[in-house]
Parts: sequence; C-alpha cells; structure tokens
Amino acid sequence: MNDALSSAFTIIAPAQISIALAVSAILFGLGLIGFLCRRNMIIMFLCTELMFQGAALAMVAFARMRMDVSGQVFVIFILTVAAAEAALALGLVVLLYRRRETLNSEVWSELGES
Amino acid sequence: MELIWLSIIVPLITACVIAVGPSKNARTTAFVGSLLSLAALTLFAWNFPAWKNGQHFPMVAGADWVSGAGVSLSVGFDTVSLLLALLTAFLMPLCIAGSFTAINDRVKEFYGWFLVLGSSILLAFAARDAILFYIGYEFTLVPMTLIVAIYGGTERRIAAIKMFLYTFLGSMFMLAALLYVGWEHRLASGAWNFDIDALTATAVRLPIATQYWLFAALMIGFAVKVPLFPLHTWLPLAHDQAPTAGSVILASALLKLGTYGNYRFALPMAPAGGAELMNVVAVLSIIAIIYASLICWVQTDAKKLIAYSSVSHLGLCMLGLFALNPIGAEGAVFYMVNHGISTGALFLCVGMFYERYHTKDTDVLGGLAKRMPVWACFMVFFTLASIGLPGLNGFVGEFLCLGGTFIAEHDSQTGYPGVLGPWYAVVAGLGLIFAAMYLLILLGKIVWGPLREPASHASHASHGETHSASSTLPIDLGFREIAILMPLAISCLWLGLQPKPMLDAIRPCAERMLVNYPAQVERVLAESAATAQVTAPITSSETSSNSQ
Amino acid sequence: MSGELSIPQAVIAPELAWVGLAILLPLLSSVVCALCGALRVKNKLPAIVTALALAISFVIIVRAYFAYAGPVEVPIFQWMSFEWGSGGRFQSFTANCSLYIDSLTLYWMLFVTGLGTLITVYASEYMESDVGGGYSRFFFGISIFLFAMSALVLGDNLAMLYLGWEGVGLASYLLVGYNYDRPSAVAAAKKAFIMNRIGDLGLALGIFMLWANYGTIQYSELFAAMKNGGQTAVDWHLSVIPFLLMLGAFGKSAQIPLFTWLPDAMEGPTPVSALIHAATMVTAGVYLIARLYPFFELHPEALATIAWIGCSTALLAATIGMMQYDIKRVFAYSTISQLGYMFLGLGVGTSFGACYHVLTHAFFKALLFLTAGAIMHGFAGQLDLRKLSGLRHLAGWRIVSWTMFVGCLWLSAFPYTAAFFSKDAILLQALTSARADFRFLGWMGLFTAALTAYYTFRVWFRVCAGPLHFEGGNEGHGDHDEHDKHAAHAAPAAFHPHAPGWAIKGVLLILALGALVVGVPAYKAVFLHETNWVQEMIAHSSAYQGSGLGSGLGSGLGLGDAGHAGPVSHGDAHTPTVLGMDAHTGLTVVGSTASIGGILVAWFFHLRSRKSADQLRAALARRWWLGWIPTAMENKWYVDELYHYLFRLPLWFGSQILSFGDKHFLDGVLVDGMAKLPLALGRVFRPLYSGALQGYAVTMAGGVALVLAWVSWVWLRGMH
Repeated sequence: MNDALSSAFTIIAPAQISIALAVSAILFGLGLIGFLCRRNMIIMFLCTELMFQGAALAMVAFARMRMDVSGQVFVIFILTVAAAEAALALGLVVLLYRRRETLNSEVWSELGES
Repeated sequence: MELIWLSIIVPLITACVIAVGPSKNARTTAFVGSLLSLAALTLFAWNFPAWKNGQHFPMVAGADWVSGAGVSLSVGFDTVSLLLALLTAFLMPLCIAGSFTAINDRVKEFYGWFLVLGSSILLAFAARDAILFYIGYEFTLVPMTLIVAIYGGTERRIAAIKMFLYTFLGSMFMLAALLYVGWEHRLASGAWNFDIDALTATAVRLPIATQYWLFAALMIGFAVKVPLFPLHTWLPLAHDQAPTAGSVILASALLKLGTYGNYRFALPMAPAGGAELMNVVAVLSIIAIIYASLICWVQTDAKKLIAYSSVSHLGLCMLGLFALNPIGAEGAVFYMVNHGISTGALFLCVGMFYERYHTKDTDVLGGLAKRMPVWACFMVFFTLASIGLPGLNGFVGEFLCLGGTFIAEHDSQTGYPGVLGPWYAVVAGLGLIFAAMYLLILLGKIVWGPLREPASHASHASHGETHSASSTLPIDLGFREIAILMPLAISCLWLGLQPKPMLDAIRPCAERMLVNYPAQVERVLAESAATAQVTAPITSSETSSNSQ
Repeated sequence: MSGELSIPQAVIAPELAWVGLAILLPLLSSVVCALCGALRVKNKLPAIVTALALAISFVIIVRAYFAYAGPVEVPIFQWMSFEWGSGGRFQSFTANCSLYIDSLTLYWMLFVTGLGTLITVYASEYMESDVGGGYSRFFFGISIFLFAMSALVLGDNLAMLYLGWEGVGLASYLLVGYNYDRPSAVAAAKKAFIMNRIGDLGLALGIFMLWANYGTIQYSELFAAMKNGGQTAVDWHLSVIPFLLMLGAFGKSAQIPLFTWLPDAMEGPTPVSALIHAATMVTAGVYLIARLYPFFELHPEALATIAWIGCSTALLAATIGMMQYDIKRVFAYSTISQLGYMFLGLGVGTSFGACYHVLTHAFFKALLFLTAGAIMHGFAGQLDLRKLSGLRHLAGWRIVSWTMFVGCLWLSAFPYTAAFFSKDAILLQALTSARADFRFLGWMGLFTAALTAYYTFRVWFRVCAGPLHFEGGNEGHGDHDEHDKHAAHAAPAAFHPHAPGWAIKGVLLILALGALVVGVPAYKAVFLHETNWVQEMIAHSSAYQGSGLGSGLGSGLGLGDAGHAGPVSHGDAHTPTVLGMDAHTGLTVVGSTASIGGILVAWFFHLRSRKSADQLRAALARRWWLGWIPTAMENKWYVDELYHYLFRLPLWFGSQILSFGDKHFLDGVLVDGMAKLPLALGRVFRPLYSGALQGYAVTMAGGVALVLAWVSWVWLRGMH
C-alpha cells in the first residue's frame, strides 16, 4: 500500500517539472489568445476555463515536486469554484442571448465611457 | 450623565418612532421628542454643578467603546458647550414647529432626519472624546445634506453637494490633526487615548513647529465650518436653498460647531501655533466682516443677505476669540449663543413671509408692515438685535469682542499674547456701520415703504383662490408662529438686559481656554531668542563671505 | 492738571434708588403702549399712560433736585461686569446699571422730562387722527426715547451712556419712519440711524480708549484716575481720546461732517421733531462733551477743533436755512446752527454758556416746532411759507401766531431775551479769548446771529404777518385720513383750516412762558448781581472743571477770567474789550445790532415789499459770479450729493464688484475649479474604458506581462 502510494506520488525531479509547466503555459496561452480573439461568449467562457486549468496544472505539478498537498487542495477548490461558476456564467450567457439574440460580446459595451 | 445621553438619544428614538409610525403623526411626535430632549438637557443644566468654576462635568465619564483604540463614549459639559447645546435643544422644537406648514411632502423623512441632525449636534457639543466629537461633527452633514437636497429650493442638489464636499474636505484636515495628536499621546504614554483633556495636555508639550502645523490643520477644518473669509462660499448657497428649519439650525447650531471647535481644540491644543497665527486669522476675520457686509449691501435675496450677514457676524466672533484675552474670548462665546438666537429668529421671520409669498426677492416684495404688522414687529426687533442695539443681546457680545480686540496687545502682567490692538478694532468697527446699513436697507425694503406684492399673489388673493400651502395660513402671523418667535424675542431681551449670569458662567471657561498661553509665549520668545543667537553668527559669516 | 481738578468724589447712595424710576417709568409705559398696540386699543390710553409716566419722572427729578447735596452714585443692578485674573485695574470691566447724579445730570434731566411731558400732551391731540392705528406705536417710540435719554443722562458709566445713545437713535429711527408707507420717511429714518452709527463708532472706540488707558469707564473712577493721569498712557493713545468722543458728539448733534441727517429727519411727526430733533436728543452730544470735559483737554487742539467745527456748522446751516421754503426745514437748519453755537461755546471754554444755550434753545425751539406742527396740523400738511400768509388775522390762530413770535424773538436772540444772554455768554467768551482764531470765530458767530435773525423772521413775517392768504396741503388732517386728502385735492379753494384745540394751545402757552422763565437766572444775574443758577449747576459738575483751570492748559487755550466769572454775573471782565468798549456793554450793543438788523432786513424783504426779495434774487442771478449762490443754498450746498458721489456710490460699486467676484471668481473659479480637478483627471483616463470586454482583458494581460517583465528583470539583474 505504501509502495503503491509512493509510486503514485513519485517525486518529480526539478528537470521534469518543466514539461508539466510547459503544458500548463501552453494551456494558459491558448486560453488567453482565445479569450482575446474570439467574440462568442461561450467560447470566451471556455477559454477562461482553459486558463484555469493551465494554472491548476502548474499547481499540481509543483505540489508533486514539493510533496506538499496544499497545491492539490487549491486545485480542488478551483475545480469546485469553476463548476459553480460555469453554472452561473452559462446561465448569464443564456440570459444575455435572450436579450440580444446573439452571442457576440461586442454588443455589450454599455460600460464604455466614451 | 444619564440626562446627557437621554437628551441625545431621545431624538434618535423619536426619529425611529416617526419612521415606523403614520406620517400624519410625524410632526407632533417630532415636536414632543424635541421637547423631551430639551427638558432632559434643561434638567441637567438646572443641576449643573460647575457653572462657576469652568470645569467639565461629569469629570470622568463613559465606558470604553473601542477600547483598544482608546475611544470612549464619554460625554460631559463645561458651561460653554452646555450653553451651545442648550441653544441647539432650544431651537429644535421651534424649528420643528416652524416647519408644520412649510413641509408637505415626505413629511416623515423630514422630521426623522431633522431629529437625527439635532441629536448629532448635541453629541458633538457633549463629546469629551475627540473621536466621538468627530463622529457627531461629521454626522451632522448626512441629515443636513438630505434636508437641503430633498426639501430645498431649485438649486438644492448643487447646494447640498457643495456643502457636503466642502465641509467634509475641511474636516479631513481636522481629523488628521486629531489622530496625529492621539498618536503623539500614544508615543508619550504608551496607550491610545482620545480624551480631549489628555490630548490637550499632550499637544501643548509638542515642539513649536509641530504646534504650528497642528494649529493650521485644525484651523482649516474649523474655518470651513465657521466659515472664515475665503472658505465661506458654500454657506450662502446652502442657506439660500435650505428649507427654513434647515437654515435656522445651520446658522444657529452647525456654524457654532466651527467656533466651538476653535474654542475647544485649536486654541487650547496648539497655543504656540495660535500665538503665531493669530494675526493671520484676525486679518481674515476682519476681511470677512467688511467683505461680507459689503456683499450684503447689494443682495436682493433676503435669505442670502442674512446668510452673508452670518459670515460677517461670525468674523467678529472669531476676532474676539483671537484677541486671546479673557474679555475677547468671553465676548466671542457670548456672541456665539446670541448670534444663534437672533439670526435663527431672522431666518424664521424670512421663512414666514416666504411661506406666504413664495419669494424672498426684496425687489418684488415690500412694505409688508401694512399687510403683516405683527410679523413686522418681530422682524424689526430681531433685526435690531442683529445690528447690536444696546439692551438687546447682540450688543453685549459685539461690544466685548471689539473691546477685547481693542486692548489685545501683549500684556506683560498676565502674559496674554495679543497683537491686535486699536487699529484692528477700528477696521472691524466699520462692520458695525455696514451692519446697520444693510440690515436697515433690508428693513426699508421688505418691512417699510409702500406695499408691493408679487403679481401672482395679488391676483390669487383677489380671485379668492390661493396656493395650497398659503391657503391654510392667515394673512398675518397666526398663534403658532407668534408662539415660535416669542421665546426667541424674550431671550433676546433677557440676555441683553441681564447678561451678567451668563457672562459669569462663561468667564472661567474663557480663562481656562487661555491658560496655556502665557507659558507658551514665554517658550516661543525664548526659542526665537535662541534662534536669533544661533542665526546671528551664521548670517554675519554669510554676509562676510558674500562680501568677499 | 494738578489739585485744581476738584470734582467731588461721588458718594455711594443706594437709598436714592428711587431716582432710577425716572428710567424705569418710561420703559414701563413703553411696555403698556406695546400692549395697547397688540390689543388694538382704540382710545387715547397710550398717550395718557406716557404723559403720566413722564410727569411722574419729572416730579421725581424735581424731588431729586431738592434732595441733592453732592454727586452720588446709585447702584441698581449689575449689567455687564466681570473681572479676570487677579481682578486688578486692567483686569476688570464694569458697566453696571447704576446712576451718577450730579448737578449736570439733574440740570439735563429737568428739561428732558419736563419738555417730554409737555410735548406728549401736545402730541396726544396732534396724533389723534391715528388713534387705534399708529397711536400706540407713536407713544411707544416716545416712551422708548425718554427711557433711552434718561439712561444716557443718568447712567454712571459710558456703557450706559452708549446704551442710551443708541437707544435714542432707535427711537429716532422708529419715529422718523413713523409714516412708513412714505418712502422718503423710510429713507430719512435709515439715513439718521446710519449717520449716527458712524458717530457711534467713534464714541465706542473712545470708550475703549478710555478703558484701555484708565482701566474703568465709570465717571467717578474716571475723574479720580484723571487726577493721577492715565496709567498706561502712551501719548498717542491719550490725545486721540477727545477726537474719538467728538466724532460721536458730532454725529448725534448733527455737526459737520455728519449733519445732513437732521433736516431729513423732519419727515417725522412734528412733536417728534420738537422733542427729539430739537430739544433733547440732539443735545446729547453737548452733554457728552460737558460730562467728559476734562478729557477734552488731553489734546491741546481738541477744544479748538470743536470750536471751529461748531462755528462753521452754525454759519453753514444758517446760510442754508435762509433759502429753505419748508418751515420745518428752516427750523431744522436753525437747530443745527444753534447746536453749532453750543459747540462753539464748549470749544472756546464756556461750558456754562453752552449748557445755558441748550436750556434756552430747548424751550424756544420746541415752541417753534410745535407752532409749525399746529400749522401743519390745521392746514393739512401745508408747510410751504410761500403758500401761507397772515395767519395772525385768522380766528383761532392768534395764540399760535404770537407764541411763534415769541419763539422767533428768542431764536433771533432779541436783546434781553433768555437766548440773548446764553448766546452772548458764548460769544463773549470767544471774543475775549486770548487766541486770535477764537476771536475770529466770535465775529463769525455774530455774523451768523444776524443771519439767524433774518431767516427766523423771514418765516414769521411770511406766515403770520401780511395779508391773509393760505392754501391747504395735500395731506389729510394728520396724515392718513383718506377722506380729507380727497377733499383737499378736489377743492383747494374751499379749504377750511381747523384751529388747534386746548392741548396744543395750552402747551404752546406753557412753553412760551417757559421760554420767559429760563431767562430768570440771567435777569437775576444781570440786575440783582446774583450768581446765575445755571452757572451754579454747571460749576459743581465735571463740565466746569476744564474751564476753571486757571493755569496750565487753560491759560494756553485763552480761557481767561471771563470763563470763571461768566459774562453776565459779576462784571469783573475789565481787561478784555470788544470794539474798544467794556466787553459786556460792547457785546450787548453788537449783539443787539446784529439781531435787530437781521429782523429789519427780514421785515423789509418779507413783509413790507415781498416783491423786492424776488427782484433781489433776479438781480443776483444776472451776475454769473453771484447767481449760483442762492441756488446752491437752496440745494443745501450740495453736501448730500457730495456724500453720495464721494462715499456711497464708490462703496456701492465696490460692493457690486465684490458680490460679482464672490459668486464668479471665489466660488465659481476657485472652489468649483478645485472641484473640477478630479473630473479633468478622470477625463484623461476615460478612453481606456471602451466597454469592450477584450479591451479590458488586453489591459489586464498587458499589466501582468509588464509586472512579469519587471520581476524577471530585477531577478536577472540580481543574478549578475
């Protein structure tokens, strides 16, 4: 049992973490670019989720490296919050869609000052 | 102690009762509540043990409130603050009764907020803790702003915002200064404490340069409230726009917070600063006297005229305070109370004809003595009190303020540091002439002369249909209005003919305010002598090096 | 100033508190009148109450006079008084409600309360058309006036004097503006109060200055301190005191430069003009100077200034009076002129002469005004002397005409009338002075006396003598009666004057008798060689001490023996001469000549051949260098206009500018500008907030990138 546990939580060497970090950076970057470039609100929302997961991956990776569970605890929180958020955000998106019959985010710019 | 809290809390409770009760009972409830508050305070004053010695009573009081920060709920009075609180409590029922017919919309809110206003003014006067004072001082702005912004004239929003922002900005300086003194107190004694006496004891030991800045910061805060010359522009607008009751309480009680602040904080806390800046303040006060009275001269709006006259009168009050001798200080405190009575009464009088004619413009309205003889009697009486006719209350304060200014020269016998002297009194005295000028012109326009009424009013009257508000009002003053003005008139006369008890009560406080001055002046003199000795060789060497 | 100053120290006598009733009674009657007004009483109750209160005051003062033994101080109650510190001399301020009674006080109070009573009786008839209307208001004003005047005279300190001083000003304001629906009356009342206020400021500052120098403002203590000299006396401070006090006196007594309010004050009902603006209130300035006479020697030129101002005012007012057509205005200018004489008397050092002239003037001027009032009352407000003539032939008007004649004789100082003696006392002192400029003022005063005789009899010859002819005025009998007004307009030819009743006639007769009686002290002095009673009264008060200074300042001012002796008493003035004759004889001759000459000229131009006056005027008008003079005199030498353009207009413009600046610069630019600063700052950053979601995201990402770049730059630099 102990063995299984230790194999499951093999300490990642500092050299290996770069791979995990690279993946997380790619995920975050994809999310960011997608968020900035797309106008569809659902896509934009998905992109934010992507960025979340990038950050979560980095945390998990560091947690493995340091053998410290707090990183994983954070990730679980993030997931939970993200789920709640998804429920709220999609609801809002539906509401907004009903108002303007479009998912384009550019129609919502009333907060603009000029 | 309990009576003090009672007088502060009763209006608050009444305000809550009004808020939940029906609006047709609001005005009666408010009136009763303010009367109860006045009764509590009168009872306290009746048994006040310290009329003669200038001490605070209760001496030690109050539970800790925010104990770690040294803020306590301690209240207490000396005679000066008690007199001002009595003035406030005295005017509250009169103002409320004066609004019975003037306020017809959102009645509940009006009386509720008005009582809150009164309560917070009383708190500010009663507070023995600097933070508690600040809370009362600052919270007055909330109800006052609402009263102006909801029940005022056509420009009420701008007036309310300007008043709020202006005075709020000023009191930030004051708060900063008070907190700084509190911090210094913590450095010295190791614990936070905002008791006013403790702060004063700390502040007077601060270095002279620090006191200078301390005084300046406190002064800015209070000068906005007084208001002193360049910082006065919020006042005429606010007065002009506020409903009658708001104007009365603003002129009579709120502005007194400014002069009271000088008496309680700025002057005793930073005597070195006071001694150094007194001629600046005095010059500003004199400018206020002359400047405001000249502006009064060309005003056509009765309410604005009286507002500017407040600026002028309070300039004289400040001048008396900054003569820094007991006679001036005594006159100034006396003047605070009496300005409250006579100016408040004038605003009430103006409100009474405004309710009937819906204009305050002296160009379209005049000769009302024909139409409203009883009102005219009161108006003339209070105007004369405001002019400072001997035998009425205004005179005593004015005479003592001017006298104090006149003899305010450094007195080696007592050590009071005055620098003002006869010339200041001469220039300030011109204000007395101008005061007679503009107030008599006001009288000449609206009271005397051939009857002039606004066209709309005359036509309404002739067709037998009148405004909804004025239809309930008799042509001349009714019983309610006479009953409002009568107590004010009586107190004008009584204080003018028999000022002695009040002067006796104020005197120890006036001396107490100045108690730190002689020593501080010695200190300043010694220090300046020392600097002169230090700088003298430097300057001589500089000059010699320059010459080389 | 050594032991010569022998003002007896006042004794404190609380048992004399009943004299305070003389102040209290008018106050009570004012309360009653106010109540009558509030209850709309429709009868003569206010007048009865006032007259009764004043009569009792008079009796009280008479009793006090007979009980008088020496200066006393009577404490009543504490008004404004406190002390601080150790309560030393300069650490206390005492201004109590107490009385200071010496012979000067009694002298003044006797005629104030006496005349007050008589004029109230007169007014009770004069004002009867206002019964139920302004009647109570009128008598309220009269009562307040008497209260303030009594406080002014009886008070034992300068604050009480100031109280009375402003109080009489208030009464004057209320009574001049009695007909408040007439804009001219309102303006006149305002003007009177404001011009008085200018003087009052001087008085207040003088009081402060006395207090700062002597540490007290109570008369008895002041006089005691005076003996020792001021203690914190800086020379400048002391010498400025008389000039400040003088300003107050000039304001109240209508002297140059503050005289223009008095003629306008004639807008008030005539009894008011008689009581306040002729007999009593305007003499308050004389009282002030007489009361504080020793302090006017603190500066060597102070008394000389008073003399010059007084004499110039006398001349100026007389020249204006010559060319006025309104009877009351003529008398108003004559009041100013006579007050000028009083100041001349004070200035040249005969406070006796000045005070005596106050007394005689009070009687004959009150008489004159009341006759003018009777005419005004009977002729519906007609006061134009061109429209009235020969009234003495009219039934019911004989008493008025002849009492007016008495008044005119007295005013023109006809030989061996009381006013002749009082005026000569002043002129003699001036003419026999050691100072050349005082002698010049004496001749100027004599010239003015001739002018006085002329303009006085111009009125009488026009109005009471000559062929009977009159036009009614355009006012109702007593101001408010719409019906009468209408009738006067509709049929001026059918105008029927209504003759005065018993109250008016009786008072006129009593006053005429009084004018004779006040001459008695002088007759006694001249014919029986007794000491003049008035001189006796003045000599034992503070008013006389100055002129009694035989050495030091006194001689420097030329206050020679004549000052001691008084011109009409012992006749020891052998050294000074007038026109080579003995001073008394000389002055009697010159004075009589001036008076009779003036009367004769008036007789010629205004009775014998009234056309010649117009011819003379026309002849003058043809010469360009003379033609403007009568016009200027008619227009009061344009002093009002001068003040208007010199002071009022610039100040008014200044105020407009200040008012504009306050609103648009101080509030508009500075305050609102400051408030707009954050707004302007916000406008700079506003484009950043486009409202597009991506825009915000880019900003955020860019911000993060920047932070990252900075962190890594710092980190990298740390590596090296």
